[in-house]
Amino acid sequence: MSHRLPEADAPANPFCTRRIRPGAIPFWFSAGEDPAGLIGRFQRAAWRGAIIGPHGSGKSTLLAALLPALKQRGMHVAAVGLHDGQRRLPRGFAATLDAQATVDAELSTQHASKTSTLDQPCARPGPALVVVIDGYEQLGRLSRCRLRWLCWRRRLGLLVTSHGPVGLPVLFRTGVDLTLAQHIVAELQNGFDVHIDPNDVARLFPRYGGNLRELLFRLYDLYEGRQRKSE
Amino acid sequence: MSRPAVVIRFDQDVVAYLPGAILAGSFWLRGVTTDEVKAVETSVLWYTEGKGEEDMAVHAFWRTSAEAGEWIAPNRAHRFETTLPQTPLSYSGAILKVRWCVRVRAFLQGGREIIGQRGFQLGSLPAVESVEP
Repeated sequence: MSHRLPEADAPANPFCTRRIRPGAIPFWFSAGEDPAGLIGRFQRAAWRGAIIGPHGSGKSTLLAALLPALKQRGMHVAAVGLHDGQRRLPRGFAATLDAQATVDAELSTQHASKTSTLDQPCARPGPALVVVIDGYEQLGRLSRCRLRWLCWRRRLGLLVTSHGPVGLPVLFRTGVDLTLAQHIVAELQNGFDVHIDPNDVARLFPRYGGNLRELLFRLYDLYEGRQRKSE
Repeated sequence: MSRPAVVIRFDQDVVAYLPGAILAGSFWLRGVTTDEVKAVETSVLWYTEGKGEEDMAVHAFWRTSAEAGEWIAPNRAHRFETTLPQTPLSYSGAILKVRWCVRVRAFLQGGREIIGQRGFQLGSLPAVESVEP
C-alpha cells in the first residue's frame, strides 16, 4: 500500500505520461465483463489467446489489468512489449523461457511426488508460465512460429495483443467510444483545475478515430495552453 | 492516531536553490510507532514529466534500517543534507518539465509503505511563456 503523493507535488498536467500510461488508467470493462471472466475465456482457449484492437484502444491497459489476476493464480508471467519494427523477440528471451519452464516442471514433479493425486490432482489449474507479448503483430512469421512451438512444447500459456487476427483465439476486442473517452478525461482531471470539458472531447474525438492515446496527447497540449492562459 | 504521513521541512525558505548550494532539512513520520517502521529511505532526486518518455536520477540517497540495528524514532526529526549539482535545472516547459524533490519512503510492517515528497526549485530558468496548441 502506498499513499498518494502530496498535492503540492502532483503533476502540473493531468494528461502527462505518468498518468496516462498503461496501468495508470484502469481498464473500464463493460457491464458483465471483468478480469476473472476474461481469464476464464483464456483458460477455455487452452491458455492461448489474443486481445485485438486498433492503436490506442486499451490493449496494453487491459493487459496491465490481467497480469495481477494471472499472478494471483500462481502463474509466472514473462512479458515483453514490442515496438515499431521489432521483428524478433529480445535476445535471450526464448532461452530464458526454456530455462524457467524447466525449473517449473521440476518443481511441479517434486510437488506431485509429495501430494496424493487423489487429494490434489492439479495444484495449479493452468500453465506454470504465461508468455505475454504486447505488440505481437510486430514479430515476423518465423519468430511467431518459433514462439508458438516453444509454448506448445513446454506447455506455456501465450497471451498477446495485436491490431488484427493472428491465428490465436480472440479473447477480447478493445475499442473506445465517445462516452468512455469523456468519462476517462473527466476522471483524469479529478483533483486538478478543469480546463477540458466534454464538448472539447466530442469535438476532437472523431479526429483520432478511437485512438484514445493520441487524443490524450492532444489534450495535454490543450490543457497546458489553457492553464497558462488562466495563470 | 492520525493517518500515517511523512512531514518534510527545509532549513531555508527560499524560492530557488542555486546550483552548488547546500540543501538541508529534516523529516519525521506522523501516525506510526517505532515498532511499525522497518526502514526509511531518503532521496534527493530529479525527474521529468510531460508528454514523452520520463526520466529520473537520484542525486543523494540514505537508508536507515531497523533490521541493520539502526534506531528509527518516527517522530524525531531526521536530518538530511547535500550539495546540489550544477544541472539539470528545474524547468517548466510546455512538453517537458524537470522537477526536483526530496522523497522519503518509509517501509512499515506488513508490507505497508508511506511516501512523502517535497519539491524545490534548482536554479531559476524562466518557464515557457506561451503555448500554441
